[in-house]
This record gives sequence, C-alpha cells and structure tokens, in this order.
Amino acid sequence: MNTTEIPLKDPAVSAAAGDTEQLERAYIDASTRVPVLMFYTSAIAWLIVGTVLAMLVSFKLHSPDLLGDISFLTWGRLRPAHMNVMVYGWASMAGMGTAVWLMARLCRTTLRFPLLLVAGGAFWNLGVLIGVGAILLGDSTGFQWLEFPRYVAVILFVAYTLMASWAVLMFRHRRGQQIYITQWYLLGAFLWFPWLYAAGQLMLFVVPVQGVLQSAVTWWYANNLLFLWFGAIALGTAYYMIPKVIGRPVYSYHLATIGFWTYALFSSWTGMTRLVDGPFPAWMITASIAATILTMIPVATVGLNHHLTMQGYFPLLRYSPTLRFTVFGAMSYTIFSVIGVLISLRSVASYVDFTEVSVAYSHLGLYAFFTMTIFGSMYYIVPRLVGREWRYGSLIKLHFWASAYGIGLMTLMLLAGGFLQGANLENPTLPFSESIETVLPYLRGRSVAGILMTVANFIFAYHFGLMLLGLGRTSTVPTFLNPVEAETSGGH
Amino acid sequence: MKGLTPLFLGIFGTFAFSWIGLTVIPTWQIGHLNPESDEEGTDIYPRPQSGMFERGEHVYAANGCVYCHSQQVRADYIADDIERKWGNRRSAPRDYIFDRPVFLGNMRMGQDLANIGARAPAQEESPSPAGAASPAAQGAAVSSPPPSQATSPASSPAAAPVASPGTSPASAASPNASAPPGQRTGVASPSPGQMANATPGGSSPAAPSAQTPGAPWPIQTAGLPPMYSAAWHHVHLYAPRSINPDSNMPSYRFLYEKRRIGGQRSAEALQLSSSDAPPEGWEVVPTYDAKCVVAYLMGLNQSHPLKEVRSVGGAPPTGTAPAPAAPGASPAPATGGSPAAPK
Repeated sequence: MNTTEIPLKDPAVSAAAGDTEQLERAYIDASTRVPVLMFYTSAIAWLIVGTVLAMLVSFKLHSPDLLGDISFLTWGRLRPAHMNVMVYGWASMAGMGTAVWLMARLCRTTLRFPLLLVAGGAFWNLGVLIGVGAILLGDSTGFQWLEFPRYVAVILFVAYTLMASWAVLMFRHRRGQQIYITQWYLLGAFLWFPWLYAAGQLMLFVVPVQGVLQSAVTWWYANNLLFLWFGAIALGTAYYMIPKVIGRPVYSYHLATIGFWTYALFSSWTGMTRLVDGPFPAWMITASIAATILTMIPVATVGLNHHLTMQGYFPLLRYSPTLRFTVFGAMSYTIFSVIGVLISLRSVASYVDFTEVSVAYSHLGLYAFFTMTIFGSMYYIVPRLVGREWRYGSLIKLHFWASAYGIGLMTLMLLAGGFLQGANLENPTLPFSESIETVLPYLRGRSVAGILMTVANFIFAYHFGLMLLGLGRTSTVPTFLNPVEAETSGGH
Repeated sequence: MKGLTPLFLGIFGTFAFSWIGLTVIPTWQIGHLNPESDEEGTDIYPRPQSGMFERGEHVYAANGCVYCHSQQVRADYIADDIERKWGNRRSAPRDYIFDRPVFLGNMRMGQDLANIGARAPAQEESPSPAGAASPAAQGAAVSSPPPSQATSPASSPAAAPVASPGTSPASAASPNASAPPGQRTGVASPSPGQMANATPGGSSPAAPSAQTPGAPWPIQTAGLPPMYSAAWHHVHLYAPRSINPDSNMPSYRFLYEKRRIGGQRSAEALQLSSSDAPPEGWEVVPTYDAKCVVAYLMGLNQSHPLKEVRSVGGAPPTGTAPAPAAPGASPAPATGGSPAAPK
C-alpha cells in the first residue's frame, strides 16, 4: 500500500472534493455493491440460523431431554448442522464478501463480471440449504466438517468454481504493478480452497482411501480449511484494515513476506494434531506436532508486524469499530495458535484428547479470530456500499462487548472444563461418569457465554438490517464508538 | 511484492507439499492393508461385515454418535483406555480397513465404543432383536441369561474350528453380532454378565452410589437386560437415564415404535422400567434402523490379536488358543439352529 492512501471519507463527499483517487475508489466500491451485499446478507442470515442451532446444541448437551423425541432435533444432528451452517454458510460467505471487496479495491479496477459472483453466491446458498436439510433429515456422510452429502458437494463446487474464476479474471484485469500482501493471502485462499475441497471429496467419496486414512484426510481437510481458507482471508483482511484505518503503511513488508510463506508452509501440515495417539504411523503425528510448533514463526512475525504498525495508534481503539474488532481478531490469532501448540504436545494431548478443549480450540479459530476480524471489515465496508453510516454507536459497542466477553467466557469454560474432564478421564480409579459430571457445570457456563454471543449476533444482524433498509445515518463522519475529542482525527 | 510466477508456484507448492505429505504418502504406507490370518489361512481378521452392520453404520453417522463417542483405544503406556476395559490392546490401522466411514472420533462425552461388541455378555442372545431367531428362544435368553451357558462355548474351544472352518461365507455374512461375544468368552476382563451377578443392583435403576471405583460404567441395574447385550442397548438408546440417571446421552425414541399389543407381546419389545414403560396394553419395539445400529454396536470388536500390536491384560484368551477361529459359527449351534443369515 502506498502512503497516499489516507483513511477514507464518505465516497459521496470525496466525489465532490474532486480527488481523483478517492473518486476512483468510490466507483470501485459502488461496483461491488450488489455482490458484496448479497454475500453479506446471506452470511448474516446463516449466522442467525447457526446461532439458534448453537444454543440448542449447547443447552441440549447438559439438558438432554430438551426437545428430545424429534429425530431432526436430536443432538447428533443439530451439532453438525450448526457447524456446517457456521463454516459454509456464515464464515465462507462473509469471508467471500470481504475478499471480493478487497480484491476489487486492491486490483484498482471496478468489479467486472458481477453475474459470476451473483450466480456463484446463489448456488452456494442453495447448496448450504440443501446440505443442512440433509443433515437434519439424517443424510450426513459422517465425516466431520464434510457432513454434506455428495450431491451437495457438487453444487458447492460449481458455485465455488464460478466465484474463483471471477477472482482470477479480476486479478488479470488489475491495474498497477504492486501486489499488496493482502492479495497474496486472498489469492492463496481462492486457490487453496478448491484444491482442498476437491482433494477431500476425491479421497473420501470418489476414490475412497482405506480405513483410518479417511480420518487423516478429514482432519487434514478440516485444519487446512481453518488455516488456508478462513485463516488466510482473516489475516489478509487484518493486513488491509489495520493500516487503512490508522492511515499508516504496514511496518515491514519483509516480515509480512516471511509470515506469509511460513504460514502457508507450516500451518498446512498441522492436521494430524487432532489425532495424537491415534492408530497412525507415529511419523505423521510427529510431523504435525513439529509443524504446529513451527507455526510460531508466522504467529510471531505477523503479530510483531501488526503490533509495530499499531504502535502509537492504540488509542484509536477507543473510537474505531473496525480497528477494535480487527485488532481483537488479530490478537486472538496469536492466542489461538499458542493454545494450538500447547494442546498438540504429546504430554498434554494425552490429557486433552477427547475433551471439550478441542471445541474451545475450534471456536477460538472460527469465532475469536476469523469472525471478529470479519465483523471489523464489515463495519468498514458496509457504509461504503450503502452510502450511509452505522446508525448507533452504542449498538456497535454492545456488539463488541457481548461478543468479546461471550467468546472469552466460552473459551475459558471449555478449556477449564476440558482439562478437568481430561484429568478425570486419565485417572482410572474414577468411574467414567465422573469425567462427565465434572464437565457439566462448565457446559452450563458455556451456555451462559452462548447467550452473550447470541445477543451479540442478533444485535449485529439488526444493525445490518437497518443499514440494508437505508436507515443508516446520513453523515460525512463515520460512526465512532465514543465521542471523538477535538484533536483526534482517527479513521473509521 | 512482485513476481507473480513465484507467488503462484509457492501457493501451489506449499499446498502440494502438505497434500502429498499427509495424505498421499500415508496411503502408500498404510492404504492397502489386508486382513491378517494364521498359517492355515483360516483365522481371518478383520472380516467384512454384514448388511445390517453397514446400515447400522449409516444410522450411527446420521445421528451423530461420533460427536460423543470415539472408537480408538490408545496404547497402555499413553493413556488408561485399556485399564478402563475399553480394549485389550491399542487400536491399529488394520482394525479399520473395512470401516466406511471411519469413526475414530475426537470426543468422549460418552464411552469409547471400539470394543463395545466385545463387552457384550457371553450368553448368546445375539440374533435377538437384531435377527430372526425364533422368538421363544430369544425371549428366554433376554429375560434370564443362564450363567452356565455363558461359559459353554469357550469351554470347548478346540471343537470350534473343527465344527466350522472359519472361512465359511455364512459366518462372514451373518450379522456377526453374535460373533465377537462368543470369542470373548472367558476373557480375563470381568465379563459384564458376571458383574451383573456380583453387583448389588438395588431396587431402583438409580444406583450410582453402588459404583466401585474403576468399575466399568454404567453399572448393571436390576430389572434390566445384561449390560451391553443387544436388549440392553435398546433400552439404553430408548431411555438412557433409566440406566444411569446422570447420563447426558440423548434419547433416541424416534428409532422406536410405540404400538398397541396385538395378540401376543412381541419378543422384541423393550423391557422398560416403570417411568419409561408404555401404558398397559402397549409395547415399544425397535424399528429396523434401531436393530441395525445395535447390530453395528454388537459388531464393534477389536479384541482379536494383531501381529503388529501387543495385546495386554491378564490373558487375551486368544493368545495361542484357537478359540477365536470361526467366531461366527461357534456360538451358533449353542443357540440352536443355524443363524439363517437374517437379512
């Protein structure tokens, strides 16, 4: 990014100002309106569905007779339904929306071929809808993270091909020689996902691998989806939003390069850490543990880079919703990765294998890291698409605190409960039921945390709905979290 | 940040590296395992499973059992799975070569099920609700397991292989729910059937206080079928809290049918305790899916020794004895009549 890119004002105002560069950006933003809003709207609709499912899953785990006699509301179907809605409905759609917008901006060209995206998005929604219905009706494949039946996979793949071909076409029409670090991550994500999805489908359904290798492929897929698809989009977004909002270039391109390549190299090898001590050749597990430890390199470089970029600008967190959510997400990436290293070590893994700790880990990755970062980008992007500012600063604040406390409490509950559960599991003098009774209070605590996150998600959906209906504020000043003192000229 | 070709090559290369490393090479290494057999080629393990087993596998997948139950036993020097009687040796890749999908699982909100079939009581009611055995015989087996019968198949291990060459297709195709228990008879681990007799059951199904440390969970309670028998699984699936009041397992009532008793009470009807029992004149019977999932559970058994892993625990009955040979066939005569491959 070059230093002339100062924090944006409202597109309408910049057009009047006659600043060509800002005018150009306003045009680009306007061209992305339909597809990006479509992705965001479907994503948020899925978020609400997934949240309701999540509450059911959480409550039913400690109150198993709740809605117990109905086949499509049985816990074992709601759980994969919740997960797939969040992964393929919410996270993929939201990430795609942000990625499309970033791609158009960074290629410095108005969005071409919007029809490809709209068609892709429509097919994707259809696929997720059928897939979730199939899971609830009992047609799950039984492979974790890949529960959608094969016919749904075909729909999703067609949808994805449309969207990925759009990305490649856009990239070919880009202007300017510079390829910003965000584009690396986005190109990576756009190219990794189809390979990953195709490889997973091929090795599990078309030419199925034998026995335990199905599990290896499943977890290889799941971890790579988390890192190379969601993680790559979130990191790319953070690399754009943080410098953009504070109006200062990334501290070091060199660090960013190291971070990207080590991330791609090491995080893609971590899948087997979910199966430590499982029936696999030891080298597979050991390689994954080693790779997990090596992911500390990208974590350190990316974290350091963001930190040094932010240095001196931390007070802006008081005002800018985008910055606050994005920085929360970026910090969560560090926490997520450190916990990932800890629980993969053999000595720890023998305690936390088969406990709620793995649930805590997934939620740290998908919610604290990815979802919070994407929330941040939405607070930045949506006003530029609808031409209005967010209506209530207080709602944004409430959204932030409810989701931050929610995910924080949830992580603590599941980590603490999971460790105790594991300790009891590893104590053969205690009956098995003891380990369940130990974790139940923590599961109730998790449900409380879930209520907070539900409140947060509903608030955001409501606020987004207002924006969509054109009920945002008409103003030249972005909506801040707190009243801005005179001397502060923070971004958005 | 320039140089597009290195970027694309790098993106492709890193991905290919991980794909080859974690999926392709392991496929070369352990992706084409065959069943093991002894010198004569008779004692083959593992074997392909029956149609009911496979359908049960799908019911298991559809209802998300894997999100709470793992199916892998870790080595005794790593974890206490074996001490918990979840198996007599660690699981090996070869145990899973016919499983599709594989349910290794990564959560134990419930017990590990890798050997749940092996933990079934020894007496043979195997073809019971799952199969098409004669209702009369089956009813008897369910209601009062004669302990003497429990040991009979094992007491004549030598006879078994003679009686039936383990290769007979019938034994491979039979719903093998019966197979494993027979083979486990007399295993060092306390047979649940024996435990049932030893444990003071108490009059109510709620008896967690009676649990002795280290005892397998849940405990056998009075008035219920022997623990881990097919009939027990049906009661447990239908009303988990009638067996352990603290259980947080969902009830799978939608896999059962409550119907008015027409004429004679069905032999398949569940023996439910008071609060879960249907009203007078009604009975609860398993649907076909329920029978399949129980057949599946009864078929989960990794107790057969494998050359590549060490079996632990007192005396894996199978060490040198030919007992496990023809597991499917040996109990069959005991129950009287050929299994008739229910399908």
